[in-house]
Amino acid sequence: MISFIARRTAALVVAVLVASFAVFMVPYVTPGDPVRKIIRSRVAGDVVDESSVQALSNSLGLQDPLPVQYFRWLTRFFTGDMGLSHISRTPVVEQVLPALAVTVSLVVLALGAAVLISLPLGISAALREGGRTDKIITTITQSFIAMPEYWLAPLLVLVFALRLALLPSAGWTGPASMVLPVTTLALRPISYFTSAARSGMIDALAADHVNAARSRGLSYRQAVLRHVVPNGLLPLTTLFAVWFAGLLGGSVIVEVIFAVPGMGRLLYDAVLNGDIPLAQGGVVVVVALAVLITTVADFVHQLLNPRLGGRLG
Amino acid sequence: MRFPVPSMVATGAAAVLALSACGFTPENNSSAQPVDTNQRIVVDNFRAPVAGWELETDSAYILSLAGCLETLTKYDQAQGKIVPSLATEWKQVSPLEWDFTLRDDVKFQDGTALTPEAVTASLQHVLKAQVPARAFNPKMVSEIKALDAHTVRVTTPTESSLIPYRLASVNTGILAPAAYAKDTINPFGHCTGPFKPVSEVTKQSLTLDRNEDYWGGPVKLAGAEIRFITNGATRAAQVQTGEADVALSVPVSSLATLETAPGVGILKADSPRTATLYMNNGRAPFNNLNFRKAIRTALDLDSLAASVYEGGALPSTGPFAPSEPWAPAGVASPRQNLEEAKSLLASAGYTADRPLEILAIAERPEFADVATVIQENLKNIGIPVSIQTKESAAVDPLLLAGNYDMALSQRNRLIDIADPIGFLTADYTCDGTYNLSHFCDPEYDKTIAKAAQTNDQEERYRLYAEAGRILDAQAVNAWLVNQQAIDAVRTGVQSYVQDPLSRYALTAETAKSGSGS
Repeated sequence: MISFIARRTAALVVAVLVASFAVFMVPYVTPGDPVRKIIRSRVAGDVVDESSVQALSNSLGLQDPLPVQYFRWLTRFFTGDMGLSHISRTPVVEQVLPALAVTVSLVVLALGAAVLISLPLGISAALREGGRTDKIITTITQSFIAMPEYWLAPLLVLVFALRLALLPSAGWTGPASMVLPVTTLALRPISYFTSAARSGMIDALAADHVNAARSRGLSYRQAVLRHVVPNGLLPLTTLFAVWFAGLLGGSVIVEVIFAVPGMGRLLYDAVLNGDIPLAQGGVVVVVALAVLITTVADFVHQLLNPRLGGRLG
Repeated sequence: MRFPVPSMVATGAAAVLALSACGFTPENNSSAQPVDTNQRIVVDNFRAPVAGWELETDSAYILSLAGCLETLTKYDQAQGKIVPSLATEWKQVSPLEWDFTLRDDVKFQDGTALTPEAVTASLQHVLKAQVPARAFNPKMVSEIKALDAHTVRVTTPTESSLIPYRLASVNTGILAPAAYAKDTINPFGHCTGPFKPVSEVTKQSLTLDRNEDYWGGPVKLAGAEIRFITNGATRAAQVQTGEADVALSVPVSSLATLETAPGVGILKADSPRTATLYMNNGRAPFNNLNFRKAIRTALDLDSLAASVYEGGALPSTGPFAPSEPWAPAGVASPRQNLEEAKSLLASAGYTADRPLEILAIAERPEFADVATVIQENLKNIGIPVSIQTKESAAVDPLLLAGNYDMALSQRNRLIDIADPIGFLTADYTCDGTYNLSHFCDPEYDKTIAKAAQTNDQEERYRLYAEAGRILDAQAVNAWLVNQQAIDAVRTGVQSYVQDPLSRYALTAETAKSGSGS
């Protein structure tokens, strides 16, 4: 247990360092001057005054060598200070945390809905493997994979906001406004979760210990509930964690279309505007959370996996 | 590589929303219906505040269009001139000094009086900004002081006829002293306008209530919500559903759908943006006037406007939009004439020894299509062209250094103030700071220098027109299409006046009929 936690903590630190350095370098390895990008995002326009460039560069310490700038940020970060946004000059943490709360809500709702829909579908398909029900469920859910969010989102707006006038077309102002972004985000996970649940269940149904349980007198229903479902659905914990981690920063299209003030939009704008502290702070938080989530998922997976006997390797 | 979110979003949204033109339940709204002063309005704006409410940034535009922030003077689009706002009159009392007389019945929304001291403090805050506003900064204004109980004096380092224009810039909006009490600016309760902000949902919206004590008389709306919706297709969808009453700057891709949508009206106006094919006048073969003229004569601007811009832009007549008061009179859009273009090309002695390159900025996805049309047009007269699409941050240094052949870009002529002097100086004078064309003509410079010193508006506009004629005669660039500013407005909204620069939207006169949206 201690070795597991130590290894994962080390991985977390390495991931944070790598991510923060990569984001720090983005404005310097992409074309254009970072200071001009900052000025343009404050006062949109093409002509940038040279004296403003110098003054801002000095004020933000951007004339220092890159290693000095990076280690200055790192030192502050490990004391809990993510610095000020270059654009708004407000604390990064004040922008990151509300956006993170929105995205976590969005992702939890989307993946929660996906699990609730996928589980019965995957189990039903597995219990009727090769039958009509299996084929219908598989065909429908697999088709969700081919529905990109930038196509699906406007389609849902067209049907539910424009035609039926049932739901708001955008915003993040209450339960009704959450339905369309959550649905858009949930559809592809439904496909993957259903497929994973079905495969896991089919494997578990064929396992020796299930046959052994039945030979001890358990009914088919009891054997499925006690032995097949818990084992068959185990792969879902990992899949859920991977999707959760991925969507934390990867829901940008949905956030842009539905005007959701989440992390995807925040990071996208920060990188676009060359707002290094905001991008660094945001990415580091997302990466840390992603590593944490996958660690917890591994922990749970190994604890629940009877083949590992609860050992944390 | 940048994740192409906007283009993906726009493509998907446009494709699907285009299907929505038919079958949408009509709403029976009419501007003839009586105004209901209990109504509130929702305006979808295309920008969100990026830097709090700092007035030197573009956040000032949001406060201004929301009817909160007001300036000493104001640009009246219909009259084409500066009109009084918080100042009733102004006068140049010496070559370097302007006096502005304040309206004496104005109170900030926190109940304190608009005094010369308050105005001075507010303007000085903008002057001292780390990244100053383009329209109002220490290079243009050296001192501001309260002269007496009614007057503010603005001193300039050099003689300037444009100070009243600068004080119409939204960046010079006036807030009460209490707005500056903390590190960040707080506009809540500190504006003078017809609407007072009451709440803000970060990155989402600003809600305002009617200012019952507005100096300009009764306010016809009970309140408003300004939503920050950066995706154009979403703004278009919201005005269609009635979730928004006004959608500012809707994209051309949504235009056809909105034009047939019941209950929605479309307002179009010339914007001060002209999509331009910049030519590097400083390098061969573009240093030859006949070659540049050949390029212009080969282009089919009508097809370009109709195809790529889907009617959301008009063929250009030169460096200015025809509706601008300084546009030269009687100038028509150039017509494609391939024979004449070939003849000009021959007289320029051009030989197609290398393909010429067009740089298109990636931030404007339509430029890729524009470049393709131009490539085809120029191929017809024997000029091989290659196309490179790059981000503007990468393109700018190449343009400024003169390391390019042609580039597609567009500039806002009135980005600083409601006068093109800044644009004409920066972009086309020999020492211009943004002279992408690397054009230099002493006669042009003389005309612009004279205009900058001319107080008489009519004479100044005549000089701008003269400068425009020089640019046109020299075929400095190929001006392609004038972009149209397009707003979508529900029919229940009354007295909404479109501003192509989105500085003003809500006024005391803006109203809504009782039947809803």
